[in-house]
Amino acid sequence: MERQEIIDGLIEILRTIRTVDQTKLVNVTEETDFLTDLTTPSTELINIAAKAEQKFGVEFEDDDIDELGSKVKDVVDLVLRAKERGKV
Amino acid sequence: MEMTGRRVAVVGMAGVFPTCTGLEDFSDKLFSNKSLIREWDVAKAYGKQVRSIVSGFVTEAEMNLEAIYSEILPSYPEVYIDHLERIPNINLATADLGSIWAMLASREAIDMAGWTEKETQSEATGVIIASGGGANEIVRSAWHGFFQLGMKTRISGAHTVDRSMFYREAANVSCFIKNKGICESIGSACATGLGNIGHAYRMIKFGLQDRVVTGGVEATALESFLGFDGMYILSRGFPAAESSRPFDLNRNGFVCSFGAGIVCLEEYEMAKARGANILGVIDNYFNNSDGDGDMFYPGFDGQKRLWKGLLGTSGFVPDVVKVHGTSTPIGDPVELMSTVDCLGTSNYHVSAPKSQFGHMLGAAGSVEFVASLLMLREQKVLPCLNSITLNPELESFQKSENWEGPQEPLAAFRDLLPEQTFEKEINSVVCLNYGFGGTNSSILVSKDNS
Repeated sequence: MERQEIIDGLIEILRTIRTVDQTKLVNVTEETDFLTDLTTPSTELINIAAKAEQKFGVEFEDDDIDELGSKVKDVVDLVLRAKERGKV
Repeated sequence: MEMTGRRVAVVGMAGVFPTCTGLEDFSDKLFSNKSLIREWDVAKAYGKQVRSIVSGFVTEAEMNLEAIYSEILPSYPEVYIDHLERIPNINLATADLGSIWAMLASREAIDMAGWTEKETQSEATGVIIASGGGANEIVRSAWHGFFQLGMKTRISGAHTVDRSMFYREAANVSCFIKNKGICESIGSACATGLGNIGHAYRMIKFGLQDRVVTGGVEATALESFLGFDGMYILSRGFPAAESSRPFDLNRNGFVCSFGAGIVCLEEYEMAKARGANILGVIDNYFNNSDGDGDMFYPGFDGQKRLWKGLLGTSGFVPDVVKVHGTSTPIGDPVELMSTVDCLGTSNYHVSAPKSQFGHMLGAAGSVEFVASLLMLREQKVLPCLNSITLNPELESFQKSENWEGPQEPLAAFRDLLPEQTFEKEINSVVCLNYGFGGTNSSILVSKDNS
C-alpha cells in the first residue's frame, strides 16, 4: 500500500468527524499535525485510530496507539507497520 | 452575596470500600499505606478487547450479597439477596447492587449518629445520594432479552425501572429508612460524591432540613470501566498496587474503582445538645464551572476561582488539602498549580487518596470525604502513594504564553506531597473534586475543638 493512498484514506476518515475543521483538509501532507494544524480535539484521536483499523483492514497494538505521535506521517507509519505484522 | 446560616456537623459515616470488611478495616489499611487496587478478573476475561485490567473493585460475595438470576432470561439478575439479612426483602426487590450498598451504609451511618426512629422518619430528615453510572448489570440483560432474543417487556418488566433509574439509591434509602423530608440526587460526574454532601450541607445551613443522609455510590459495573477504557484514560502497564500514581512522572491514567461513602449531617447545635459525637464541622461548600468550553480537561482559572469562592480572601490555609488527584497526565499538575497559587508552598500538605484506592467515579468525592474525616480522627496525613518521581521540567501548559500560574516544575513541590502517612496536628481539611463538563467542587471541614 502506498503512503499517499493511506493519506487519502485518512482524509476520507477526517471528513466523517464533525469536530475536525473541514476547511483545513486541503493541502494535507505527511507533516500536517492533527492537533495543531487540523484542530482535531485530542479525544477524537481514538476514533480516528478505530476508523483507520477498519478502513485499512489492520489491527493496531495498544502500545502503538499509546505512543502515537499526532502527525499524519505517524499514522501512516502505524498503518504500514500493522500491515507488515498482518502478513506474518 | 454570601448568606450566613446554621452550622453543620457530621455525626455518622460508613461506606463500602474495596478489600475492606468495613470502616475500621478501611482506616487501618489507608493509614498503613496499603493499596486497595487489584487485578480485576472480570476485565481480564475479555483479553485483548480491553486495555486495562486493574481496579479497586468490590464483589457481591465480599459484601455477603448474591445475584439470583432469572430462569427465563438467564443473564438477568431477578433479585439480589442479602446473606446476612440486614435489608428486608421488600427493599431488596427494588434495589440494584449500588442501592443495596447505599442502604447498608446508611443504616451504619445512622446507627453511628445515634438518631432515634422519630428523628430518622421526620419531615426534617432528608436523603441526598447519587451515583455516576447506570445499573449496567440489569439494563444490559433487560435490553438483550428484548432486542436480541425477542422477548416481551414483561420478562424484565417488574423491576428494571426502579433498579436502573437515576436517583435509585436515594429512592431505595428513603423507602428503607422512611424519612419524610427531601429525597433527591445530585449528579455532577466525578464531583457527584462531594456534590451530594455539599447540597445536603446547604439544606441544613439554610434551614430546609435538620438532618440529611448523604453521599455517593458507584457499584461495581463492567460497562463503567469499559467506557473509560475506550477513552484511553485508564492506567496501564503497572502492577496493580502501583497503577494509581497521582503526580508521578510516569502516570498514564486513572484506576477505575467502585465503592460508596455515606455520611449523616446534622444541624450543629442540635447535635451538640444531644451529646452526639461530632466527626467534623463543615465550614463551607463551594462549587462552580470552568466556563472554558472544554468537556474533559480541568481549568486552572476555574480552580483558582473555586479556591476564592471557598476561602474568600481570608488567607486561611488548611492543614491538609485532599486533592482530586486522579493520576492523569494533565489533571494532576493543573490541580497542584492552582493549589499552590492560592495557598503558597508551605504550612500544609497534600493527600491523594486515589493513589490508594483509585477513582470511584460517583462515589469518589464522598469516600474521599470519609477519608478526610478519618484524617481528622487519627491526626495523620494520608499519602500520595507511588508519587516517586516528580517532573523536574515544566509542564507543557506552563510554557504557553498565556500561563499565569507558578513557574516551578512539579519537582519543586516535593515537600507538599508525602509518599507515606505521617502524624500531624490536623484541624482543617479542604476536599477538592472535579468532573467532566468542567464542574469543580470543594468543601472545608474542621475538627470540632469546642
